[in-house]
Amino acid sequence: MSEAPKTWLERMKEKAKTPKAAYTFGFAAIICIVCSLVVSSAATLLKQRQDRNVRIDQQKNILGAVGLSAETPEAIEALYAKRIEKLSVTDAKLDLYVRSDDGQPAAYAFPIKGKGLWSTLYGFLALEPDGDTIKGISFYKHGETPGLGAEIEKEWFKNNFVGKKCIADDGSLASITLVKGKVKDVIAPLLQKHFVDGISGATVTSRGVTALLRSGLEQYAPFFKTLQKEKR
Amino acid sequence: MATETAVPASGGGIGLTTREKKILKDPLWDNNPITFQILGVCSALAVTVQMQTAVVMSMALTTVVAGSGLIISSLREYIPSKIRIIVQLTVIASLVIVVDQVLKAYLFNISKQLSVFVGLIITNCIVMGRAEGFAMSNPPREAFLDGLANGVGYSLILLAVATVREILGNGSWFGIRIVPEFLYAHGYVNNGLMVLAPGAFIIVGLLIWAQRTIMGVEKHD
Repeated sequence: MSEAPKTWLERMKEKAKTPKAAYTFGFAAIICIVCSLVVSSAATLLKQRQDRNVRIDQQKNILGAVGLSAETPEAIEALYAKRIEKLSVTDAKLDLYVRSDDGQPAAYAFPIKGKGLWSTLYGFLALEPDGDTIKGISFYKHGETPGLGAEIEKEWFKNNFVGKKCIADDGSLASITLVKGKVKDVIAPLLQKHFVDGISGATVTSRGVTALLRSGLEQYAPFFKTLQKEKR
Repeated sequence: MATETAVPASGGGIGLTTREKKILKDPLWDNNPITFQILGVCSALAVTVQMQTAVVMSMALTTVVAGSGLIISSLREYIPSKIRIIVQLTVIASLVIVVDQVLKAYLFNISKQLSVFVGLIITNCIVMGRAEGFAMSNPPREAFLDGLANGVGYSLILLAVATVREILGNGSWFGIRIVPEFLYAHGYVNNGLMVLAPGAFIIVGLLIWAQRTIMGVEKHD
């Protein structure tokens, strides 16, 4: 080197042409440190906002299941705070969300989850205080096929559940079953209250929803039984 | 269009040189990353069921290609050649994570639908291809423009595929109903194939065919 490179950057350029091990390691270390700083500061700075999004999404789905709705994030938070109370019920300490109308419980929502075709489906199911009538249902996380299995999150599908009954006339748990085709064509009139239309082209997802409804209702059955006893 | 042999050095002003214009124009049609180079097809199949997800995915990818082109090109004279691929990958991966975090914070519902596909931009061949093939041997300004143009070229195809798929598969465009109700009442049914990956395959295939026919590309063998 007859001419001494002037700046620090120019010296680095010289070294990079025929890099020694020390230069290579040094360069790799600097890149790693800079990149990890960038990534971790992005994650930290945005964390609060992301957590809020997740929380609001959950609240929106609980509200949807119990038949309430709000548009903006602020409205969702306010409505949730005002109308929903979270309880822990049965011996297993299960989460339960209670909608209150003027201090009176109007609906009970609880988390449901189960396997669909490609993914696990997560949602909420809400019952009316009689522990029998379906108040509403919502799904907030799944990876089903758009247009087919993913129809579970659409209004037309969710509306089919409203007003259906999950307790059979003899008092046992009938749950809700999705059928292939239309309920009114394939199920006897007296039993139609326990069935809803399945999604055509999404047999496995429909079957999964049937299974997760039954397991969810079985899990919470002890709570709804005590609830009914208290009523009488 | 103009004489492309004349390649003046890139000026510092806002005006683009002939070479820069070519860099910007080529990936849109002549050298489109999806339909001509057949790169990045995987995500083109996955996120094109609806326009909304396709638009966000396009913006995410364009940001990453342009950003990584700029950064890698600025570093190109300092990167030891033995570890250049892993350095490129580190830069790209960091950008992708940042984009993913931003989507989760500001476009939560769409980021939920895109799920893993934003993260998978890291493995998108367009990004690595432009970093290794262009940014490593060209100045930052050109590398940025090249990334931008390739991102837009990718986006054009994504939007074209998503338009066909959403209209035929769902009867809507950007979630707005296009196919009128009375057609459904008369027995019209959405095409279920269009919402599945094979539907996208067919459309991408048709686009490639159309492009090669128009350009008059000869057979490979």
